[in-house]
Amino acid sequence: MAGDKKATPAILGRGPGKPIKINQEWVVIAISVILFVVFSLGLDKFLSEGNIIALLKNVSILGTLAVGMGFVVVGRGIDLTMVAVMVVGVAFSIWISSWGIDFTLAALIGAGLAALLGLFTGIMIAFAEIPPIFATLAIASSIYGSGRIVFASDVLYAPNNVQWLKWIGSGTVFGLPASVIIFGVVAAAMGIFLRKTRFGRLVYATGDNPSAARNMGLPTRPLIVTQYVISALIAFTAGLIMTGLVTGINTRLYNSSLIYDVLLVVVLGGIGLSGGQGGVRNVIVGTILVGILTNGMTILNFSYTSQNLIKSIILLIALAIDAIINPRDEQTSQSGDI
Amino acid sequence: MSNIIEFKNATKTFGGVAAFKNVDFTLKPGEIHALLGENGAGKSTLTKVMSGVYRLSEGQLFHEGRAVEFGSPSEALKAGIAMVFQETNLVPAMTVAQNLYLGEEKFFNRLRGLNIQARQFLAGMGFQVDPTAQVSTLGAAHKQMVEIARAVHHKARVLIFDEPTATLTPEEKRHFFNLVNRLVKQGVAIVFITHALEEALEVADRVTVMRDGEVVATGKAADFTRNSIVQAMVGRNLSETLHGEARRAPRGYGEKVLSVENLSCAGLVRNSSFSVFAGQVTGMFGLVGAGRTEMAKVVSGVMKRNLFHGGEIRLFGKSVRYRVPRPAMLDGIVYVTEDRKFDGFFETMTAGENLQIGELSNGSNPVSVVSLSRARELVDDWGARLKLKQINDRARMIELSGGNQQKVVIAKSLIQKPRLIIFDEPTRGVDVGAIVEIHQLINDLADQGMAVVVISSYLPEIMAVSDRILVVKRGRVVEEMMVSDATEEKIMFAAVH
Repeated sequence: MAGDKKATPAILGRGPGKPIKINQEWVVIAISVILFVVFSLGLDKFLSEGNIIALLKNVSILGTLAVGMGFVVVGRGIDLTMVAVMVVGVAFSIWISSWGIDFTLAALIGAGLAALLGLFTGIMIAFAEIPPIFATLAIASSIYGSGRIVFASDVLYAPNNVQWLKWIGSGTVFGLPASVIIFGVVAAAMGIFLRKTRFGRLVYATGDNPSAARNMGLPTRPLIVTQYVISALIAFTAGLIMTGLVTGINTRLYNSSLIYDVLLVVVLGGIGLSGGQGGVRNVIVGTILVGILTNGMTILNFSYTSQNLIKSIILLIALAIDAIINPRDEQTSQSGDI
Repeated sequence: MSNIIEFKNATKTFGGVAAFKNVDFTLKPGEIHALLGENGAGKSTLTKVMSGVYRLSEGQLFHEGRAVEFGSPSEALKAGIAMVFQETNLVPAMTVAQNLYLGEEKFFNRLRGLNIQARQFLAGMGFQVDPTAQVSTLGAAHKQMVEIARAVHHKARVLIFDEPTATLTPEEKRHFFNLVNRLVKQGVAIVFITHALEEALEVADRVTVMRDGEVVATGKAADFTRNSIVQAMVGRNLSETLHGEARRAPRGYGEKVLSVENLSCAGLVRNSSFSVFAGQVTGMFGLVGAGRTEMAKVVSGVMKRNLFHGGEIRLFGKSVRYRVPRPAMLDGIVYVTEDRKFDGFFETMTAGENLQIGELSNGSNPVSVVSLSRARELVDDWGARLKLKQINDRARMIELSGGNQQKVVIAKSLIQKPRLIIFDEPTRGVDVGAIVEIHQLINDLADQGMAVVVISSYLPEIMAVSDRILVVKRGRVVEEMMVSDATEEKIMFAAVH
């Protein structure tokens, strides 16, 4: 009988892990490349310099929002208030600047308001323990509703004598639009923050297993509150990019499908909604795909509705492929418990 | 006599790890077959294949001579194979009668008829259970009776018991074995998983011993002795540490670290008082649901005690009240959970990353820079200290064996530099080699002067590691004794009476 010592390691040990894992991230990159090639060959306008710049500008707003959303989702939350905070925060800045306050100061006050809104959301989720999806859904409507009451009109135009706002709209650094640079800076800062700081590691831990994080004495509540404050500030930043690009902000943007596009970017990129996985790299991958796709469909003159339909189908396919490649079944879930 | 169940060369693997391999096992009608082995030996998995919870990876399962593969527990039940689980599978909010006939109610369900039917059926088996009683109000023994009655009602020809006597009082045990004998006379085959070796030797006709997923001995019960079974179970000379046969002098009392007075928490802990001392292992024994875990969780801040009349907790003489675990952790109280998968570790992270989170938990500066190579250093360092076996650097926690997972969870807690560490069921779902190592670690911690609490519902474990034993019953510490005065019988007596 083979009951000797050799039997033990086979049970305790594991074989070497697979060096390369085909995961959602690579699938999305592959789809992006294919789409890019197809659009480049099929659409003569696609590769023009003007179009690429337009693509990048569009992507910068979406990508910035997605960085904030990804950050919250990694911690097993979700922030549906982002678009509301973005439009109301910036509209508030413009509104108070119309009283004669310098716009730079007004923007700082607006950022303060955004941070306060994030703080409130975070407290509702961390301390009142409302599930994030419901808390942020309700708070988003409240923020937008309050904004609609205060600001008389839907569209607020920024003063046209603010230098840095003009720079965001039309400035370039090394040939790249300033808005893209801002997106890059936000993404890079978040990437370093998540990977390299104590706070970032604890966010992953909390997202992976909130009960274990709480049990071992991690400051889970302050962590959650901070995440929503940061995501609100990132939303405000995205709002400033938008104001710079189109010289004003349309608060009705809240009613568009923008927040779902942000979620699409995050989920497509491979940040699992169950938390603890993925990072800024996934956000960038998702942003590139959605950016190429939206741009191509716009050139092809697809209607807004059919664009949404196509995006949702792609989301479903990505999720299905991920589920097939990385199955969660009896075998993987039980392996530790023999 | 032909076999009612037969495994031929059967293997079951989970993600490449064999729960059992190349097992041959036979079960004859009308016999009691004791299945013995340490935690993680593969007994439970084997019976779960029999009862349709899992399917074999390789080999064959024969039922009355025909090769079968049960797709679900209900298929196995149809074939007459029923499993009585350790944690009962009854619906707590329903009555006994409703549970008995669950799933076969008529379209117009008449409770009175059901109750009469159930009363006759239970009386026919000699069970003293009121069919109109709600199951949640029953004791462990009665719940088990209802489960057995349900299995018999389904005309079970094979009954599998997983540790049936662990929660029973001596009197209830006698009832239980009477019933088992009666069923055997009717030709029912019984598979009986237990840790109580004497019991197995007494009642079983045949014995099969498993170790590390393989059958190491099988034969007539009369041919075995307690020692030969222990020898077969552990395969090396571990029996002394594992089964608490070695009596030793308890360690003395160190500084009083924790004193709990009149603690109450939501009906689970009632007016309980106890103390914990440094340099000593305090064992907490109690049956499942006695409130041991809740006491530990209140002490470590995982749960809150009652606002009014909640009692008092003093740590080094200072009165404390924790609403969340963090301040408790910062004060040096660490709780090692009984359910590591649920709230013990971070499953998508590697072992090293888990350990690193433990190190980061103490800090206060949120933006301090984390070294990515530190995770590997930690796992090398602690891996050597805790004898972590063959950890792949990149393997996620969920892919490790139970023993390695538990060691990582313990290491993660030790990195937090506790002064009082509470282990809740430290060896649940852990392989036999790791059990001994974890017990050794617990002893080392006490020798180094740490205050250690070990909660366990496994008596030999309590006897093996504790210096002082607290017995918990219905939310209260009811008995305290030094290990030198304790016997398993004395402890059990206090826990159930």
